[in-house]
Amino acid sequence: MTDGASSELTVPASAEETWDALTDPGRLAEWLADGAELDLRPSGELAVRVDGEQRGGFFEEVDPPRRLVFWWGPEGDEPTRVEIELEPDEEGTRVRVVESRPLRVLDARGIEVESWLGGDSSPQMRAPELSAIC
Amino acid sequence: MPAAARADEVFAALSDPTRRAVLELIGERGEASASQLARELPVSRQAVQKHLSSLAAAGLVADRRQGREVRYRLTPAPMSEAMSWMATVGGQWDARLAALRRHLSQARS
Repeated sequence: MTDGASSELTVPASAEETWDALTDPGRLAEWLADGAELDLRPSGELAVRVDGEQRGGFFEEVDPPRRLVFWWGPEGDEPTRVEIELEPDEEGTRVRVVESRPLRVLDARGIEVESWLGGDSSPQMRAPELSAIC
Repeated sequence: MPAAARADEVFAALSDPTRRAVLELIGERGEASASQLARELPVSRQAVQKHLSSLAAAGLVADRRQGREVRYRLTPAPMSEAMSWMATVGGQWDARLAALRRHLSQARS
């Protein structure tokens, strides 16, 4: 069963250009997010303002120009995991996004999920902790 | 139909951007035929018909024959929290990816 929200679309650009548009703060400002601060490496932190809402998180996987995985969420709220995959096709690049809520599993078992976005634990600790959970 | 199979179908139905667009259009109009929907979407009437069938199988739309055409409306079936999260977040990404495509089209021209 699909347990994530997904969307996909072909854009008229190479995978490299598409990757740039997804990861360069100046270009992000033109279509998605204001004031993006991105430390683009595994465990690197991210802060963006999307749809009028400040979101924080960190990168899980950074594999240019193919795959970008990050966790994000409004501070104090349950973070979600976003997987973006780029694949060249005849008309440009196919962009596939899946956003899921892996932490729901813990929630459903009655395990309290404390928000570590903006918390005390170091970002370096988060990615391994999370991959152990998910 | 067992409840689990039903939830599965609803998730599958909502996972597709075109089907979400179909649902949204029907919601805006109250009722619409496959031909009307096809005029407003970048897909064929046959494709719209297929999407309407899976939406109907998932219980999200109901049909009614009027003269020679079949008209579709949303069913009032409440979506679970998980389903409505999926529809909302999927819709947000539909809009974001459309904005990304516009951005990249402009960058190219």
